[in-house]
Amino acid sequence: MKRSELFALLIVLVVLLGLPAGLFGYQAWRTASAGVKVIDIVARAPEQGGFSPDRLSLKAGETVRLRLSSPDVVHGFTIPGLGVNVDEIYPGKVVEVAMTPDKPGRYAFACTRWCGVDHWRMRGVIEVTDPTPRPSFDKLRTGSFLPGKGVSVPPPLVGEGAGGEVLPGAAGEVPLYQQLGIDLDAMRHAAQVTPGARPSIAAGAALNAKLPQALTDSAQRRTLALADAFQTLRDDPTNAALSDADVWSLVAWAWLKDVPPTALARAETLYARDCAACHGPDGKGKGPAGLDLPGLTKMDPTLPKGPRDFTDAGGMLAASDVLLQGKLLRGGMGTGMPEFGSLYSDEELWAMIAYLRTFLFKP
Amino acid sequence: MHYAISEIPVIKRFLKSRWLQWGITVVTLAVFLVVILTGLFGTPAGNHNFGIVYVWLVWWALLKLIFVPFLGRFWCSVCPIPAPGDWLQRRAMITSRPGGKLYTLATKLFRKPGSFGARPWPKFLRNIWAQNLGFLAVALFSALILTSPLVTALTLLVFILVSLLVSLFYERRAFCRYLCPIGGFVGVYSQIAPVAVRVKDPAVCESHTEKTCYTGSDAGYGCPYFNLPQRLQANTLCSMCGECLRTCPKDNVAFYVRVPGADLLNTRGRRMDEAFNGLMMLGAAFIYSVVLIGPDGGLKATARAVGTPGWFVYVAALLSFSLLVVPGLFWLCVRLSQVLAGRPRPGMVDIAAAVRKRDSLFAGYATVLVPLGLAIWVAFTLSFTMTNLSYAWPALSDPFGWGWNLFGTAGMAWTPYLSGVIPYLQVPVLLVGLIVAVALAMRTAHQHQQPSRAALPVSAFCALAVVGLLTLYMA
Repeated sequence: MKRSELFALLIVLVVLLGLPAGLFGYQAWRTASAGVKVIDIVARAPEQGGFSPDRLSLKAGETVRLRLSSPDVVHGFTIPGLGVNVDEIYPGKVVEVAMTPDKPGRYAFACTRWCGVDHWRMRGVIEVTDPTPRPSFDKLRTGSFLPGKGVSVPPPLVGEGAGGEVLPGAAGEVPLYQQLGIDLDAMRHAAQVTPGARPSIAAGAALNAKLPQALTDSAQRRTLALADAFQTLRDDPTNAALSDADVWSLVAWAWLKDVPPTALARAETLYARDCAACHGPDGKGKGPAGLDLPGLTKMDPTLPKGPRDFTDAGGMLAASDVLLQGKLLRGGMGTGMPEFGSLYSDEELWAMIAYLRTFLFKP
Repeated sequence: MHYAISEIPVIKRFLKSRWLQWGITVVTLAVFLVVILTGLFGTPAGNHNFGIVYVWLVWWALLKLIFVPFLGRFWCSVCPIPAPGDWLQRRAMITSRPGGKLYTLATKLFRKPGSFGARPWPKFLRNIWAQNLGFLAVALFSALILTSPLVTALTLLVFILVSLLVSLFYERRAFCRYLCPIGGFVGVYSQIAPVAVRVKDPAVCESHTEKTCYTGSDAGYGCPYFNLPQRLQANTLCSMCGECLRTCPKDNVAFYVRVPGADLLNTRGRRMDEAFNGLMMLGAAFIYSVVLIGPDGGLKATARAVGTPGWFVYVAALLSFSLLVVPGLFWLCVRLSQVLAGRPRPGMVDIAAAVRKRDSLFAGYATVLVPLGLAIWVAFTLSFTMTNLSYAWPALSDPFGWGWNLFGTAGMAWTPYLSGVIPYLQVPVLLVGLIVAVALAMRTAHQHQQPSRAALPVSAFCALAVVGLLTLYMA
């Protein structure tokens, strides 16, 4: 073979073999030289499979770098229990985020951008194990002990109505609604008496009225429907001089006086991220993503379709905080309401419930 | 009016050297390989995938805005798709075989001439009809191909495999000449190019009986596109690979710089398959303008959803518009020109006549579709490639969408280029295309012994196309 021919052949072979080897080698080198474990997570729209992989196993104390990418639409990424937040993963772009989970436990991760009608199903779980397992740990893991800061176990990730009862949370506590045996799926009657105008927290405070213990003790108050609290206050002779509107303001004050503004601000952010798409920014249940959801028609076909209207006094005043907590924790079993038990801390849950009340009560 | 640029000794040496074509082909092959790899393994987000960006924006812009208008079919000579087949047939890349001998499986397996496999390319396929239909077939899926890196990679893999397979059984570039869906329109539009390879003195060829330019010789291979250079009337089937420059023992072939569109000046004896290519491409340009870059993004999504009822509507629209509406309108215009000429030929269907007779008025008038169609495709290409060409920078640094930054350009933001200028480029291009088309219509009329007024209907057809397209772009 002539020299020139040999040279040309060599160059072509270098191109045909060297180019793929170089490209894939470079990626392998990038991964290997990162110094830490690199995990690629592809975020697809839930209809296309959601996160891949959606289950990760890590060791406590091990630093990992997550390489997040999206092939379709803009997604977000959060691991609430580990404080990891990525606001945007643009299609075709890669976002890297490093983290070092310290404590063993199961941590849910989720998409935070409304990427499709099934956005809320876009979840995953990171299982962080102790690198030096004690004999007792395995037993704990298979049991109901679920460590992790305020994060309860995520329910199965697929299927309409997936979820079931929420398992005990961080402190091993059974959620209040389960302790009280409240059936989240029972049909409830709307409150018979409702305020004429939006009750005002400030007006309630200005009345300087003495609240009964049932309303000052948060544990007790949370179990009460607001309409019942109104009736109790109305029936109390010491309030005889107050108008109905005043009593409603008293209820508003009783419910929201102890909620710090920072908690409400946090809940407002979470509401915008997780709730507004269905329930609407104004809480009226007319968000674009919720229009086709079954909502309460699941329980009573005569009711209107779609998500709960938080400005509807009849419905909201008949619901206790505990009931709302259950709905948030577990989701709405076929109504289209996702579960947030795996994403919200205890504080965030109660803050959210308080925030939902502000759609009815004004400051 | 032409000038033989290959008569300059340096340029002649340059053009006769095999290293030039080989060198560019190796580069295009490397790019092609990256396109396939990124298509198969990279991000499915088209605008961040090297494959989509470098094929459908960079290459397409180069092809439509530079190669075809200025260099004719030169792209074909450096296209990576037929290269492996070429090299296998020649068993060489740089050197030439004694006598320009080519090797195929057919010559190995079926030594007996005339046996299956050793047959020449079927006669009924010795035209560009298969290319026309191939283009339309690709066009049916184009919204998907243009946006999905994987589908682009698979399509190109099919191209290269078919090309390789054809080259195993049929000598020379039978795939390029008769099958390649791109080659058809590239050939037809390359008649505009201001460059051409032609013989210097036909009389010299007449006296040269060996025809080494066709058969090949120690100096090189026979024309890969089955051309006999002395018969070359147009660029349509010539890739300007320079093989005939090498094989002509009488130094009677030259590379000319010439008046653009000189191939179109003779409107007699034009071919129906090429005429139809022009009509089909015109129809496709309109459908693409509406579907791919129109204001209604839903149409693009529909055209992309292969297999759905909406897609079948797109298929029906594309096929009926390209195969029936546009050709039908044009046929009516040609018939009308006969009426205006005062010599109607009642009862005779022009298309049928064209098949029987080589010299068809329909195919003659169809030459107007070359400047018109190219102008329309240039305008169409300008609108979407310039808007999106800036994706080329991030895709170069991060070809797979894996978060790389090879050349520091991964973070470069999308910026539409020439956004304010594009209409000022499109309108003159379309107007020049229209003017040349109308002039050609007049010329066709005269060359076919018609009075000038007979050119009116076809001229009106061209004006309608330009006005229609401008209206679309304004909307």
